[in-house]
Parts: sequence; structure tokens; C-alpha cells
Amino acid sequence: MHLAYLDAGSGSLIVQAVVGGVAGAAVAAKLYWRRLVARFRRQPSDQG
Amino acid sequence: MAISDTGIRIEPGSFRDPTNRVFHRDGEVLRGLDDLAARDWRSLAATDFFRSLLAEGKVCGTEELVPTPVDVPWTAVLRHERIPFVSHPYEWSFGMLRDAALLHLNILRAALAAGFTTKDGSAYNLQWRGASPVFIDVGSFAPARDGEPWAGYRQFCQTLLYPLLLQAHLGVDFQPWLRARVDGIEPDQMRRLFGGTRRLLPGVPTHVHLHGAMQARHARSTTRDVRAQLRAAGYSRELASATVRGIEKLVRRLDRRPGASHWSDYQRTCGYSVPDRQAKERFVEAATATLGGSGLVLDLGANDGRYARIAARHADYVVAVEQDPAVADELYRALRADGERRVLPLVMDLADPSPGGGWRGVERAGFADRTQADVVLALALVHHLAIGRNVPLGEVVDQIVGLGVPGGRLVVEFVHPEDPMARRLLANKPEGLFPDYRRDTFERLLATRCRIERRSELPSGTRTLYQAVVGG
Repeated sequence: MHLAYLDAGSGSLIVQAVVGGVAGAAVAAKLYWRRLVARFRRQPSDQG
Repeated sequence: MAISDTGIRIEPGSFRDPTNRVFHRDGEVLRGLDDLAARDWRSLAATDFFRSLLAEGKVCGTEELVPTPVDVPWTAVLRHERIPFVSHPYEWSFGMLRDAALLHLNILRAALAAGFTTKDGSAYNLQWRGASPVFIDVGSFAPARDGEPWAGYRQFCQTLLYPLLLQAHLGVDFQPWLRARVDGIEPDQMRRLFGGTRRLLPGVPTHVHLHGAMQARHARSTTRDVRAQLRAAGYSRELASATVRGIEKLVRRLDRRPGASHWSDYQRTCGYSVPDRQAKERFVEAATATLGGSGLVLDLGANDGRYARIAARHADYVVAVEQDPAVADELYRALRADGERRVLPLVMDLADPSPGGGWRGVERAGFADRTQADVVLALALVHHLAIGRNVPLGEVVDQIVGLGVPGGRLVVEFVHPEDPMARRLLANKPEGLFPDYRRDTFERLLATRCRIERRSELPSGTRTLYQAVVGG
């Protein structure tokens, strides 16, 4: 997409959620939770 | 058609965003836009927030050329207001960098509220009209996408926030750090500087340590994936605005002035008598009056800006160069308080002027390549370079002459070796080290490069002022 001429940095994007107060921290927590769940869901098929 | 056939000179500092490019033609500053950038520009130009930013002078004057010139390879072409003198963030004082950061954030907040964003967050997006910052990167505006954090945050940290933290929290001058790295200071480097209890200083736990840790942790995730994950987790435009407000609040808190130095009190302690100072003021007034309200004056070793302000009465624009960051910052704050838009203070050591920087050393032009002044003031400067810094006298003269346009004027003060200031500098060097540091030698060197129009001995009898025409 056109906004991405600059590498914004993955960590730099996530940290902006964290510094955005309580609502931002909630978004970051949700992101990490989803990542964790996705990892467990993936594992059985990875082994299979 | 080759670009070289069209009289165009591409701006070397504007290649990073391939959708648009700044170029120069017939003395105008233009920006070529591709299809996508042209679409973004037209939707931006129709917004109230952008019109307000232009009207308030926060964004440099910009208009589209209609019809689009047919001899350029772009979909649309913008004409920008000319910035009187291009400077780089490593030539700014702390207060300047802070005000530039605040303007960037202010503009970003206005953009976000209207559904736009800036694609980047670089200190190089800003320039100056005297002591007033102005946002120049009109190509940076683009429609925002819901649920996306600011793409320019990292760049903002590296080129604006971190240098401010260095100065405000540690008292370390930021200029050499920015000059050495065109992309600014990496979070990783900052983490090493802010160990121990310094971890807890305002802005450091989050923007430095957490930011650095997150970068290391997510080094292998792509920004495309992370953007999608953040959107899915509910990252909203309001959250993006709240984050920017938070950074703005932090920057406002960072207001520690650079510490006082030897030069801070120079006008009082340098030993000038009142008659000397008045004579100098009259000399500068007469030399710059020849400009008749136009042209660029360069004041080398500007200190408190006394002579820069006199020159500003007669010139279009004055660039006041001062090597001491604390003194330059004082000057900036005074000029800013006066709303001065025609005197630009800059921090630079004339024995070590800004070299070319960035890609191929031309992305950020060196000081000499940007400077062609109609009048160069070099008052109480020559002895500091020739004795204090051991620069051969002929080379000092070459440097000063080289900054003026052919036919331009120089106003140079030569401090005789018997003068108390010169004696103090000479006393720090082995005796007899500078046998050529004499008034007659200086005058001969000046006369081989210029035509001396006027000379005047100051009432103290140990200083001489010269007015000369470059190449005359």
C-alpha cells in the first residue's frame, strides 16, 4: 500500500499501541493473545 | 525524454519516497507527482485542514501548476514557496529542534482529525523562515487508513525525540549525533545511554526501552502482518490521535536549556568598549545599507545576534551562524519571541562546517554548497580561527571570501596581535608560533582576493574593520 514507502518497523508500530494509554494497552494485549492462540492452533497441523 | 534535456535539476535530498520528487527549474522549487501522489494531493488540497495549515504558514506555500507542464515525466507538478536558506537539523539549536518537533506533531494531529496522516516523521520535513518553523514535505500527506499506527513514529523518534531526550535529560549536545547519522539515533543506542535510574526519566521507559525491546522482539515480523493484527485487535484512529497527543505532551515537558558556556556572556566579557561597539554597529549598518532591502547576509560568529539584527534592516534574509549551541539557543529564543522571520540562527563550528551527508554525500548538502551570500560579516572571528584553531591566515581569508558571491561584500574585523583578546589566545600557544598573524599580512591577503573599499580602526586602536568587494 502507498503508505509503506518507509519501513515503519514492526516493533515501532506495536509500541504505539502500548504508549496509547489504557485503551492502547488493551489493543496490544489483544494482539498478543491472538498471536498466542494462533500459535497453539497451528501446532497440531504443523506436527501432522 | 531525458530529464537532463528539460533544464531540470533534481533535488538530491528527495528520492526516498518514489511517488514524488522535488526538482528545480528556472529558479523555482517544484515537486513532480506520480498518479498515486497526484490523487492524494488533489484530495488533500480540497480539505479545510490543509487550507488552514497553509493560511497559518505552518506548511510551505504550495500550488498546483495548471496545466501540468508537458515536458516532465510526472502526472502533476506542484510549485512550492522558496525557503530562503535550507538548513539541516544538526545545525539547529535545542529550542529549534523542539519547536520543529512540536510543529510536526501539531500538523499530524490536524491531519489525523481530517482522515489524513503523514507517511513519515523526519526532522528533514521541516525548514525555517527565520525563527519560525515550516513543514515542507507536502508529498508526505496521504489519506489515513483506519486502524493503522503512524508509519513515521520510528523516524520521529530517531531524528527528533531522541536528540531532544539526549539534550534535555543528559545535557549532551545532540547536533554531532544527527550530523553523523542521516537516519538519526537508533533505539538500541539510546538504550545503552539510558541505563540505571535514567531508565525512569520521562519518555525513556516507553519510547526508548520498550521501543528498542519491541524492535528486537519483532524483527522478523513484517509490518504488513503487524498492521493487519493491530487492525484486527481494534487499533483505532482515536488511539492514533491519543498516541500523538501523548508524544506532544512529552516534548513540551522537555524544555531544559543547554548549559551556559564561555560564549554565553561573551558580549559582556569580551572587552569591547562602548565606543568600539558603536563604531562597529555604524560600520555594519553602512556596509549592509548598500543592499537596499534585498539579498542574503551571512553573519559568521553571530553570538547574541546584535549585528545580524542590524543587517536584517537592509537585507532580505540573514543567516546567523554561531558555534556555541547554548548561545545559538538563546539567540533563537530571543528571535522567536520577537516573531523574527528574517534572521535564521544556526549552530555550526566554522573550523568544522557541515559536510555533505547522506547518500553519496549529496543528500544533505554541505554548508559551503548552500551558501552564496551577498554580504558576509566576519566580526571578531579571524583571530579565533587563525590563533585559536591554527588555521593559516590565508585559508581563513579564503573561507570567508568563498562564502560570498562574486561582487558581494565582506565586512571583516582584524584583531591586532596586541589586542587583549588576541594576546589571551596567543598566550595559550607556544611563543612565536604565528609570526604571520599581523595586520599588514592580513591586509595583503585580503587585497589579493578582494578590492578593499573601506577600512576603519576602532577607537581602542587594536582592531580594524574592512569592507571589501569579493573578486573586486
